[in-house]
Amino acid sequence: MNSLRGRLLIAASVVLAAFLGLTGLSLDRAFRDSALAAVEDRLQAQVYMLLGAVNVDAFNRLTLPQSLPEARFSTPDSGLYADAMDSQGNLVWHSPSLLGLALPFFPAVRNPGDTQFAPLEASDGTPLFVLAFTVSWEVARNQYRLYTFRVAETRQDFDDQVWSFRRGLSGWLLASTGMLLAAQGLILRWSLQPLRRVATEIKDIEAGRRDELSSGYPEELRPLTTNLNALLRQGRAHLERYRNALGDLAHSLKTPLAVARGALETEADPGELRRTLGEQVERMNRTVDYQLQRAAASGRIALSAPLPVAPIARKILDSLAKVYADRAPRLRAEIAATTVFYGDEGDLLEILGNLADNACKWCRRQVVVRAHPADHDGRVELMLEVEDDGPGIPADQAPLLLNRGQRADPTVAGQGIGLAVVRDLVEEVYYGRLEIGRGVLGGARIRARLRFQANGG
Amino acid sequence: MRILIIEDETALRERVTAQLREQGYAVDSAADGRTGLYLGQEYPLDAAVVDLGLPDLSGIEVIRRWRAAGRKFPVLILTARGRWQDKVEGLEAGADDYLVKPFYTEELLARLRALIRRTGGWTQAVLRCGPIALDTGAQQITLSGQTVELTAYEYKLLEYLMLHAGTVISKTELTEHLYQEDEDRDSNVLEVLVGRLRRKLDPNRALNPIETLRGRGYRFRLERTAG
Repeated sequence: MNSLRGRLLIAASVVLAAFLGLTGLSLDRAFRDSALAAVEDRLQAQVYMLLGAVNVDAFNRLTLPQSLPEARFSTPDSGLYADAMDSQGNLVWHSPSLLGLALPFFPAVRNPGDTQFAPLEASDGTPLFVLAFTVSWEVARNQYRLYTFRVAETRQDFDDQVWSFRRGLSGWLLASTGMLLAAQGLILRWSLQPLRRVATEIKDIEAGRRDELSSGYPEELRPLTTNLNALLRQGRAHLERYRNALGDLAHSLKTPLAVARGALETEADPGELRRTLGEQVERMNRTVDYQLQRAAASGRIALSAPLPVAPIARKILDSLAKVYADRAPRLRAEIAATTVFYGDEGDLLEILGNLADNACKWCRRQVVVRAHPADHDGRVELMLEVEDDGPGIPADQAPLLLNRGQRADPTVAGQGIGLAVVRDLVEEVYYGRLEIGRGVLGGARIRARLRFQANGG
Repeated sequence: MRILIIEDETALRERVTAQLREQGYAVDSAADGRTGLYLGQEYPLDAAVVDLGLPDLSGIEVIRRWRAAGRKFPVLILTARGRWQDKVEGLEAGADDYLVKPFYTEELLARLRALIRRTGGWTQAVLRCGPIALDTGAQQITLSGQTVELTAYEYKLLEYLMLHAGTVISKTELTEHLYQEDEDRDSNVLEVLVGRLRRKLDPNRALNPIETLRGRGYRFRLERTAG
């Protein structure tokens, strides 16, 4: 069952069927009960009517007049019958309608005032409702006899009534089932329509006919569509970045390749050739390094959960403490446990790792890493700061350092590339800024402001 | 010094192995994580160089298992990607330093020397004990400022003894750490070498830098000088 429509249809139909079935069943039962009660009441009334007509003759016998108030008692086979028995079970009277028939034997009722009511069959098999009522009759002064009066009616009327009720009921139930199912189908169509729209639009995106999902989706789908759009935008940004990186890479490899080829063609001195080739290989290596690190940036901002900064800074500082064990600089993090970063863990590691590594290379004794949220025009930014107590970076050198792949000091490996990579990450992926300044410890302070943090996006 | 290299790229592994042997190290090498893991658990290593991207068992896993098994020798990781995530993961797993490929052999040697020095408790590149100074970078020995000429084997022996200055080192330990598997391990050779070292470092028989403890081994007995 892999369609929402199918699931909803089946579930709703089962519920509907159960509901309507139970309704029908209980209505049917209620109707039967009340019809049965009506039959019993009617028969009871007939009994009272008969009792009213009873006379006692000179021999203290029970007699009833030839014509009774209820004409059906006098018409043979009318469907309404009656008889009376004395306490020994002898039939003392029967209605003319009972011509040639006998009422079924009834469990004896022997207490005056008792009533019994049951569906039974006549001697010829006709189904009947029979009501028996026992009275104590004063036939003479202080002389009482027990008589049992029985009144019976065919079940035909009752059955007809029940069936006609059932027909009506089932008709109505079927009609309302049909209407409800139709309404349900329409409701489903209407409420699933946005999903179909998403599907169509995604197909359009696949086919390249549109760039992102349109707006105006219902509230429940909006998180899906906005996040999908964010992912799409991110994917495009990625593609753009890869394309640029590839272009940059190819371009920046062309120059050293040209120099190397030129040297191969013109340089005669092997030592000189070796030196030139070595230089160019180093240059190419640096370029590849730089582009590789840039490519490593995931830039996953959309859909990212808040990432506590403190444990990540701790990891970096612990790692650097190992790497710089010989110099044993004092590495300190000043980060509140509540400070979080919205983005990829690898990116944050890259930013903090490169900055702190540089700081360790240049510091005399200590390095401090700070992170705190900062307000910028009503948006929350994450401020990352790495500071050392080294010689610092002269203001005129700063722009040079930030430029790709250039080294301020060729004797310390890696300087420059790290900063340029961080700058790219901060500025191109997190739309922030990287500033080089002087900190309170007297050395360089690199500050990265990252946008799209918390309610900033 | 006995060093293990785990690197799946044959050319690089063989080059580094050859260069380290040239520098006087005893080198074991493995092309995959499982072999490397085994060698690291069985051999008395002074350091290991582990590539992170190994085919079967990742370098990080190898380091983790060594550390879990209580192996404490320093580990240098090689990573091709240079991502901090990889470096941090490796260092957290128990590595002590990292090097990003491609690297200069000089840099690898310097890092290894520093790591090995650190395990002996030395923080400087020059080990000083009294008048004797051993420069691990230049591989030079001076006695009261005068250069002492040593052969490669003599240097290796002295370096090991001085790195562990103050502790007794058995002959077995010395042969295990200084010699290649296939080399002649006659303990007489060791005695001869120690004798020669004594003559060169202590021509007047006044210093007695290396003492022999009968049945236990040798000890470099001069105090480490600060710095």
